Amino acid sequence: MLGALAGRLGAAAMTAVLSTAAVFLLIRAVPGDVVGEMLGQSAGDRAAEAALRAFFGLDRPLWQQYLGWAGDVLRGDLGVSWRQGLPVAGIVGKAFLVTLQIGLVTLAVALFVGVPLGILAGVRHGRWPDLLVEVVSLVALSAPVFWTGMVLLIAAGTWFGWSPPLIYAGPGENLADNIESIALPVMALGLLQAAAYAQFARQQTMQVMRQDFIRAAISRGLPARVVYGRHLLRNVAIPLVTFAGVILVQILGGVVVVETLFAIPGLGRTLLAAIQARDYPVLQGALLVAVLVALLVNLLVDLLYAAIDPRVRGA
Amino acid sequence: MWTPSISRRAAMLGTAGLLAVPGLPHAQGAAPDVYGPMDPQARRGGTLTVAIANEPPNLDPFHQAGDARTAVTVLMYQGLMYEHPSGEARPLLAERMQISPDGLTYTFTLRRNVTFHTGIAMSSADVKYSYDYIRDPANGSPGAADFGAIAEITTPDDHTVVIRLSRPNASLPMTLTNRFGCVVPRDTFAADGARARLSQQSVGTGPFRLAEFRPQSHIRMARFAQYWEEGQPYLDGILFSVQPNAASLLQALRNRRADIGMLPRPQDAEQIRDVPGLNVGTAPSLRQNSLDLDGNFAQLRDVRVRQAIALAIDKEAVMQASIGGHGTVLGTTVAAMQDSWGAPLAELSTQRPDLERARALLAEAGLQGGFALDLVSIIGFEWMDPAAVTIAQQLQRIGIRLNIQRAELGVWLNAFRTRNMRFTFNDWGTQPDPHILYYRHFRSPPQGADFRNWANADADRLLDQGMETADPAARKRIYVELQKLMSATVPTIMLFSPNLVTVTQSRVRNYVQHPTGWWFGLARSWIAA
Repeated sequence: MLGALAGRLGAAAMTAVLSTAAVFLLIRAVPGDVVGEMLGQSAGDRAAEAALRAFFGLDRPLWQQYLGWAGDVLRGDLGVSWRQGLPVAGIVGKAFLVTLQIGLVTLAVALFVGVPLGILAGVRHGRWPDLLVEVVSLVALSAPVFWTGMVLLIAAGTWFGWSPPLIYAGPGENLADNIESIALPVMALGLLQAAAYAQFARQQTMQVMRQDFIRAAISRGLPARVVYGRHLLRNVAIPLVTFAGVILVQILGGVVVVETLFAIPGLGRTLLAAIQARDYPVLQGALLVAVLVALLVNLLVDLLYAAIDPRVRGA
Repeated sequence: MWTPSISRRAAMLGTAGLLAVPGLPHAQGAAPDVYGPMDPQARRGGTLTVAIANEPPNLDPFHQAGDARTAVTVLMYQGLMYEHPSGEARPLLAERMQISPDGLTYTFTLRRNVTFHTGIAMSSADVKYSYDYIRDPANGSPGAADFGAIAEITTPDDHTVVIRLSRPNASLPMTLTNRFGCVVPRDTFAADGARARLSQQSVGTGPFRLAEFRPQSHIRMARFAQYWEEGQPYLDGILFSVQPNAASLLQALRNRRADIGMLPRPQDAEQIRDVPGLNVGTAPSLRQNSLDLDGNFAQLRDVRVRQAIALAIDKEAVMQASIGGHGTVLGTTVAAMQDSWGAPLAELSTQRPDLERARALLAEAGLQGGFALDLVSIIGFEWMDPAAVTIAQQLQRIGIRLNIQRAELGVWLNAFRTRNMRFTFNDWGTQPDPHILYYRHFRSPPQGADFRNWANADADRLLDQGMETADPAARKRIYVELQKLMSATVPTIMLFSPNLVTVTQSRVRNYVQHPTGWWFGLARSWIAA
């Protein structure tokens, strides 16, 4: 078990290194840099452009730039934002906490709404609850998050005269404002992920329901709570836990859209702003955190999977 | 509703007009009405919430170009002069300005009661430091080229600044306004990390100081208690909230979360015009939405092709499709400068659709069979997509098949900066001065950048003459001639200026919209009970 864990950690570290190198090279391959963004249409003075490029170290060879950055990262320093002049670690850390809150609340919504509905549909396969869940989840899965979010925003404003607070507040700053700030983003993302969860739970339930031990339990006349609560749920839980990791990573990916739509200063919006401003230190720092989080979530899912399933634990 | 305009008379009274009597040094006194009128009925206090669509990347007025930065920093930083909506540069931190008869020496007498946000008093050494810093290309300011004519800055005493030019520049007073002409305490940039600190602490002399800048969220400004204009500003603070899109901005205004906002899509005024408690103000702007034609790109190298394209485009139809008609169709200058500096539209060629002539020009160029051409649209500029479709239909009538390509802004800026514009949309603004509008964009290097590879020697001569000519009538003749040349040889097609549509809650009083679109007017605004 420990050997497998060490192997996974090693692979994760290698993935992180390769990802950062790829990001470093790819972002520099895209035309335009921070100097162009700062000069805008006031460009034209070659000496001023060269001075700005030297100020940001862009006149150095690429390998020197990468080694310098990687060395700083290994020392725990993610650098300073070219756009804001603040330490990247602070910018990315704050943004990540915002995104994490939205991600976890959305995951909870997806779990508590999608899983019961999916199991209900699987158990009642072919009957009206199944059809209802199937239709609603297909519609929710078909609607792009951006569209859902925009509809929610316009509907809330037009029908209820309500719009989210102009300024995002963290849960520690003002809980009421925080709930108002994340309500629509969580609804927009949660609807999609709950639908995905419902579909997955339905399929898993239908598979388990076809197993001999479930048929035997039913034919033996065991009470429904025993059949579903003990035999069904325990077997459905394992793939659902695995799926939680997939869903969380999907949420963290999709959060860019809702953060942009609802002006939430999370990791997604920070990344987007960094790309637009060609703020390489923030971009590299934020992507490093995103990669590490994805790797960590996958690792945790594996460990949880092993904890739940004795067959995996013994392997 | 307030609708400013720059009258011909006001323009003639512009800064260049100060030397209307050759040989007589002329002094310009202090102008009390910068930012807009004061209001004796004003109620003091309160914080205004402003919804903005474009967030400034940072708040450094010396190194960050772009309207998003300037729009907010004008409340924290001030230049010696102020770009009055009339088109005139008026004294701001200067009390008066004197120009020598040869137009080469400008003497500024400074106001005596000006204090920086750092708490120290402003002196001539600060002005010299600021302008010496910005004009040194080694410091990497995008404004360096604008200060290129300055040969020397001296400070005979604490309250006098003398600027000597290497060649006359009638636009110097406008250059010393609030885009790049800000004054900061001497040695501001001497310390490590000084540039970055400007996004956390303001060091200007403006009516508001920076209280907080949280990127991707908001900018908070607080009244500067030691501000030099007595009794100003009326507000205790301003909160700029960054809105991610036009729909969010509209909702914020509709639901009274925001007190004031400028609509990124002027046509959205129709959605909000009848909402009780909201006032919708419209003003002509100094911005232009245009098509640029790179003289080094494909068929555009042939002037007849550029002329044919201009003659095939119906600007009115493009404006209707793009912004629902909420703007002004342009000739060869922006809407808010047409009266003062624009060539009469009737005297300009290629401004009205003439398909027969367009086809004939293409035939002359050997392209009677038509050809395909790429048109670049910039992602995030909503007006460009409907404009591209409309222009594609219009050019199809003369056999030009447009292939519409969409470029990310950073990629587009890189192509622009490296003079590889091809055939592209553009969206840009100016201060109310023809030299600032045209010179950098159209003058050949090294004096200008000639981003469109126009390479027109006559234009270079006119642009140099326009810069050096002080007499307003003569200056206007030069710029009219330049515009005729532009219209005839088509390095650009100025399509329209979108209106500036500002929406305010009824409790917001005394807000006057500046034609740059910058937030000067908040310096005189107040909140009713």
